[in-house]
Amino acid sequence: MTRALREAAWTLVLSGMLTSGSIAQETIKVGIIGEFTGSFATSGESYRQGIDAYFAKNGDVVAGKKLELIYRDAAGKPGDAARLAEELVVNEGVKVIGGLTLSSEVAAVAPVMTDAKTPFTSFSAAAPGLAAKSPYFVRAGQDVRASGQAAARSALKNGKRHAYTAVSDYVAGQQAEEAFTAEFKAGGGEIVGQDRIPLSTVDYAPYAERIANANPDVVQIFVPTGAPAVSMLQAIGARGLMKKIMVIGTGAEAEDNDLHLFNDSIDGYYSVMYMTAQLDTPLNKWFREYLVGKFGAEALPNPHSVGAYDGMTIIARMIESQAGKQFDADAAVASVLGYSFEGLRGPMKINDDRELTQNYYLRQVQKVDGRLENVLLETFPNIKP
Amino acid sequence: MLGEMSSIAFIILYGVSYGLVLALIAIGLVVTMGLMRVTNLAHGAFAAIGGYLSTGLMVKGGVPFPLAVLAASLVVALFSIAVERAFYVYLYTAPELEQVLLTIGLDFIAIGALTFFYGPNVYPTPLPFYLAANVDLGIQSIQLYRLAVVAVSLLIIAALWYMFDRTTLGAQIRAAVDNRTMAQSTGINVSRLFSLVFALGSGLAALGGALGAPMLPLEPLYPFKYLILVLIVVALSGFGNVKSVVGVALLVGIVETAGRLLFPSLSGFMIYLLLIVLMIWRRDGLFVTRRAQ
Repeated sequence: MTRALREAAWTLVLSGMLTSGSIAQETIKVGIIGEFTGSFATSGESYRQGIDAYFAKNGDVVAGKKLELIYRDAAGKPGDAARLAEELVVNEGVKVIGGLTLSSEVAAVAPVMTDAKTPFTSFSAAAPGLAAKSPYFVRAGQDVRASGQAAARSALKNGKRHAYTAVSDYVAGQQAEEAFTAEFKAGGGEIVGQDRIPLSTVDYAPYAERIANANPDVVQIFVPTGAPAVSMLQAIGARGLMKKIMVIGTGAEAEDNDLHLFNDSIDGYYSVMYMTAQLDTPLNKWFREYLVGKFGAEALPNPHSVGAYDGMTIIARMIESQAGKQFDADAAVASVLGYSFEGLRGPMKINDDRELTQNYYLRQVQKVDGRLENVLLETFPNIKP
Repeated sequence: MLGEMSSIAFIILYGVSYGLVLALIAIGLVVTMGLMRVTNLAHGAFAAIGGYLSTGLMVKGGVPFPLAVLAASLVVALFSIAVERAFYVYLYTAPELEQVLLTIGLDFIAIGALTFFYGPNVYPTPLPFYLAANVDLGIQSIQLYRLAVVAVSLLIIAALWYMFDRTTLGAQIRAAVDNRTMAQSTGINVSRLFSLVFALGSGLAALGGALGAPMLPLEPLYPFKYLILVLIVVALSGFGNVKSVVGVALLVGIVETAGRLLFPSLSGFMIYLLLIVLMIWRRDGLFVTRRAQ
């Protein structure tokens, strides 16, 4: 009796699967390579949130085909990213790849994508010159040099003339420092001290002390999000510099979703970024409310979730351009050149060199209704690195 | 002149407070490695758990900082006895490779558990207002928290010194470190001593992790992040030599702080330079009186 029942149930399930398979609409596959474990795991979580919001807003059907996302975890290892990209293209047949948090991953994946003729976009990698590594690369994050330039302009505009730069000693930090230095000097400013801080540093108090001793009126910071940013900014706050001089970050040290990690000594911290959680556009407002409603009060927009959402917009545009045709990678990339659209971060345009023209925002951490928040002070429109 | 004075004062004050936190964490490892001959790479995990527990008590339970630190250290000490009985007892006779593999495995479990319970991000430790203020010492201002760390660490180190040097328990531990078989044959219950010392070592690690959390932020990778620094202190101290741990940890703290202040871009190497020089010069440990071969 029970056996007969079980068999009947299986038959039902199997036949259900078969019929639903035969009437399902055509799908198109997109690969997402991110960091879902390891020390960058928070970025992968933000990718999922941004993509989730994108589907909630726009649906998952593009040009009559259902978008099917296939996630892969590179865990911060460029070699793994390259292997996974190959696997996604060859075995899964993905048409576009997105994600790729680290510039080193983009660099490792680039030759694979060129060989496989598959467009790919990075939601957050920030090293300059990535577009030169493959004709199929389109940027959805930023070129970090633009952050450095916008920070220098903000400092000059606020009457600062003596700058100190304190950046983490790796490519992104170095590029941000060089861009800041060049722009600040060109505007008549003077650099009074420069530190490149090893990534292995645990106690940042000596760097705060060096900055205080050099007596600058502005200090540019670029430190990775997480423990390094918390230690560095808390050391600067403990040394009493946050209120005394302009401390301006260029590396997403204290985005709104991370502000709960800091104590009140961060009050007064400036930063420049290409998105801002409190941006007052209808789209960003909707996004902020969606994230907070679905993922909790701390899930405020950050560069990763915003990059994922805007990156999906670019990916959808590529797929749409190939509607009704055999997917052609070159034509798909060409279709987004010159493409202007309203992103979560404000107006964006993809230039012919596959880099972005976008706004940069000067913010300051302030207490609003008893909560720390990055308050938008000034918008630098249409910056091209 | 004033600038140089202030730099020297900074190096001493910050180097000492940083070094003393390292000393608290390292003492436990020196004792366990020296006494039990177990390469205990999971030591940092106990420090991390101590830090997370005390911060959790403060943030979620509203317990005051000093009480939270104390409670977390005691809980970790008790918990470590269970871990010792469950895992470490099998390691005392195992070869070093097996010890390293198992204790590294424990690190991974701790990292996974911390990520699961507290998330992959930094777990911020709020500083009570009475420790967050700066005091001006004339030539150099310093955060009160750092001074408190120095005071508490010195107190604990003094108590440890007293215990090791002046009590029967200390004598038993020293005897077991020097010659386990001989100690056992004089009637010392070495197995019980092991559990006790292991609990003491882990409790001290937890204390260092909890007390130092505002300086060395808590994150799931904590057990690995500070392992190298602590192992350097242990290597330079020599097996089971508690007195030299303090000296070596202070030296490491001061060299690191001075390196960052004076040669910021080379600061990543300073500590290894110190390690190389000292390992060549005094292989058995810095303050160890050389024994006849």
